[in-house]
Amino acid sequence: MKTDKLVHIPLFSGLSDRTLQAVALRSFERTLPAGQVLFIEGEQAESCYFILEGVVRVYRMNTAGRMQILARLSTGAPVNVVSLLTEARKNRANVESLTDVKAAVLRSADFEWLMAHCPDFSTALLRTFARRIARMTDLAAGLSLNSVRVRLASFLIDLAGSPQTAGGWTQDEIAAEIGTVRDVVGRLLRDFENRDLIRRDRQQIILLDREGLYREAKRSSDEISDANKPALM
Amino acid sequence: MTEQKRPQINLALCDRCGACVEGCPVDALVMTEHGPEFSSPLTCTYCTDCEGLCPVGAIRAPLNVVWET
Repeated sequence: MKTDKLVHIPLFSGLSDRTLQAVALRSFERTLPAGQVLFIEGEQAESCYFILEGVVRVYRMNTAGRMQILARLSTGAPVNVVSLLTEARKNRANVESLTDVKAAVLRSADFEWLMAHCPDFSTALLRTFARRIARMTDLAAGLSLNSVRVRLASFLIDLAGSPQTAGGWTQDEIAAEIGTVRDVVGRLLRDFENRDLIRRDRQQIILLDREGLYREAKRSSDEISDANKPALM
Repeated sequence: MTEQKRPQINLALCDRCGACVEGCPVDALVMTEHGPEFSSPLTCTYCTDCEGLCPVGAIRAPLNVVWET
């Protein structure tokens, strides 16, 4: 595939021309309709994807047959890379497209070739995982320091200040993002609504009370005037 | 008239258990030979209950978050 499509993926943006050419030579573009399963948990991990456009969800089915959303990934995100790096080489979760998706696909052998022959590719991967670990550390800190109410208010403020992504967010996906479960998200949204902090209008959550929501999020009132800044997620 | 948005049903994931049809508070869903379908476009209130009831994640009721303008 062409290198000009790959440079928009953060993982590839700092690669040398030589490595970028090598990635382009070994990857191919795949287009998937919404609702397509990309990876099935437990199957042999044969490839990883880098999302060029669109949104996917990562989930597992628990023993009771219920879906557990683990993550929601969009443009630029690597998908299934961890599965290729683990010794078991099995897909660690199911992945399904939520919108039409375009992705750059690297097969397992090509991924390994790049790891072995292109040090800047490996370094870029390490940086990506370092960012993930840092984000998970922040989430873990948030889980212990802040209540779900604080995390949800903060998430809503950030999301409303970000460009709206295709597909929207389900309550399961919001729950996965802030470290709780759907029922709690639903209950808190109703509570926020009852207190006129937000209003529901079919598929929209409309944030009504800036000061009230910032108070719920335990954020400084100085941030209120800066509510449209890019999200920190 | 603009069509109201409704939850999205992925019939490929649906196992026809009928939980969404039984649990819909406004009886907006019916079970057909193809799976659950909305019987009347205007009946659904987008309460998102069906999404929570579906055990296999076949129903999505995504939400967008915006500031009031």
